[in-house]
Amino acid sequence: MTRALVTGLGAITPIGLTAPEFWANLVAGISGAGPITRFDTSDMPVKIAAEVRGFEPGNHMDAKGARRMSRFAQFAVAAARLAADDAKLELTDAERPRAASSIATGAGGVTDTMDEMEVLLNRGPARVSPFYVPTMAPNMGACQVSMHLGLRGPALASVAACASGLYSYIEAKQLIELGIADVVVAGGTEAALHRLPIAALANMKALSRRNDEPERASRPFDKDRDGFVFGEGAVVMVIESEARAKARGARVYAELLGGGLSCDAFHITAPLEDGSGAAQAMTEAMRIAGLTPADIDYIAAHGTGTPLNDAAETIAIKGAFGDDARRVAISSPKSMVGHLLGAAGAVGALAAVMACYTDTVPPTINLETPDPDCDLDYTPLKARSMTVRAAAANGFGFGGQNGSVIFRKYSE
Amino acid sequence: MATVFERVRDTIVKQLKVTPAEVTPEASLIDDLRADSLDIVDLTIAIEEEFAEDAEFEIRDEDAENIRRVQDILDFLAQQGLS
Repeated sequence: MTRALVTGLGAITPIGLTAPEFWANLVAGISGAGPITRFDTSDMPVKIAAEVRGFEPGNHMDAKGARRMSRFAQFAVAAARLAADDAKLELTDAERPRAASSIATGAGGVTDTMDEMEVLLNRGPARVSPFYVPTMAPNMGACQVSMHLGLRGPALASVAACASGLYSYIEAKQLIELGIADVVVAGGTEAALHRLPIAALANMKALSRRNDEPERASRPFDKDRDGFVFGEGAVVMVIESEARAKARGARVYAELLGGGLSCDAFHITAPLEDGSGAAQAMTEAMRIAGLTPADIDYIAAHGTGTPLNDAAETIAIKGAFGDDARRVAISSPKSMVGHLLGAAGAVGALAAVMACYTDTVPPTINLETPDPDCDLDYTPLKARSMTVRAAAANGFGFGGQNGSVIFRKYSE
Repeated sequence: MATVFERVRDTIVKQLKVTPAEVTPEASLIDDLRADSLDIVDLTIAIEEEFAEDAEFEIRDEDAENIRRVQDILDFLAQQGLS
């Protein structure tokens, strides 16, 4: 069987504009949440988000190309470039047909739809941008990455709400295992920060309203959690066949073992209370990885900080891991990064990879008051040094989407 | 007060991400300024917006088809009384 290795990392996130900066801040427990600066929130109940600050598209792509891209695609291209540089990835023309992209997103260029609708209503159809359709389409994250890196194999763009980011790694593993590609640039991206989604999610009571203390607002598994903090950003990794990586002496961060997917087939937003759908995805991920619960030392939880998710995920982990549920270290990157929606699974995947690579588990910050319904080891407040042989990343999404992906410390 | 040419030049620089020095009246939008068909549609919208307060006009598709060089934009604007 062809093994799939992680050889390059890229990140554009609210806590760092590179993967090393992201990881250092994740381990240090730095929050990326703050007041929303992108638009006026004076009439809105939610005034906080985890924004990407200081992002300059021109540092990663030419200015004209950036103008033809929505922010979600700019994030993807920037993170992909960082990952390709980190991997020292060089492709010959002969290799390009076997180099693929897999860039998931939840919402694609939803902000373009809202902005161009305003142009249509206020200034008329003649003023609508001819670039609207090819910027907002959700496949443009993948296609722009392929265009910028010259990847001429498949360009995949899974849409699975807040589980999307994990799909890209499952697809990457399959493309390599099936012999379709030798290199897959895989990740998730999201940039949907706009008045409309914030208003809708606030009305759904999904978002934290701790406006006065943004850095304390995302508190997964804490008794006083009151919703998630809306975020944006992208994480992209270079996934490479073992043969190609070894032949060129590439640095290997971890091995991608694959993952499992399921659907609750139950409700548009609420998870199954018995956690059975999510547990099924974790169990399937372990089966595909050829591991048992005893082999896994860390779970990068979905851990949104909504009352429903964290309780259901706790039950799901118990269902999938049995007695090992109390042994395994768990934490929620969202306590620091916020919820990157379609990129969230990729954030969790990066945390899992780095946990295996550095033998460090990042913390769940703001977990100050334990909730009786959340009674596992969520690595509260402080990072932990410990051996991480293998790590799982969970992601769940509206519609009942469940995903879990497993990475392992690499050994030949 | 900027001249019509300067305003056209600055609009082209902003839309096509070229340098001001490249934008001469003789410059071809496609061959010299690296525009494609979508850029030209986008540019005509930007020109309409730039001059919206000076004159009431619309760059129709048949007008846009004749725009190949920077001078063609200046000629079109002159026909609208802008020069």
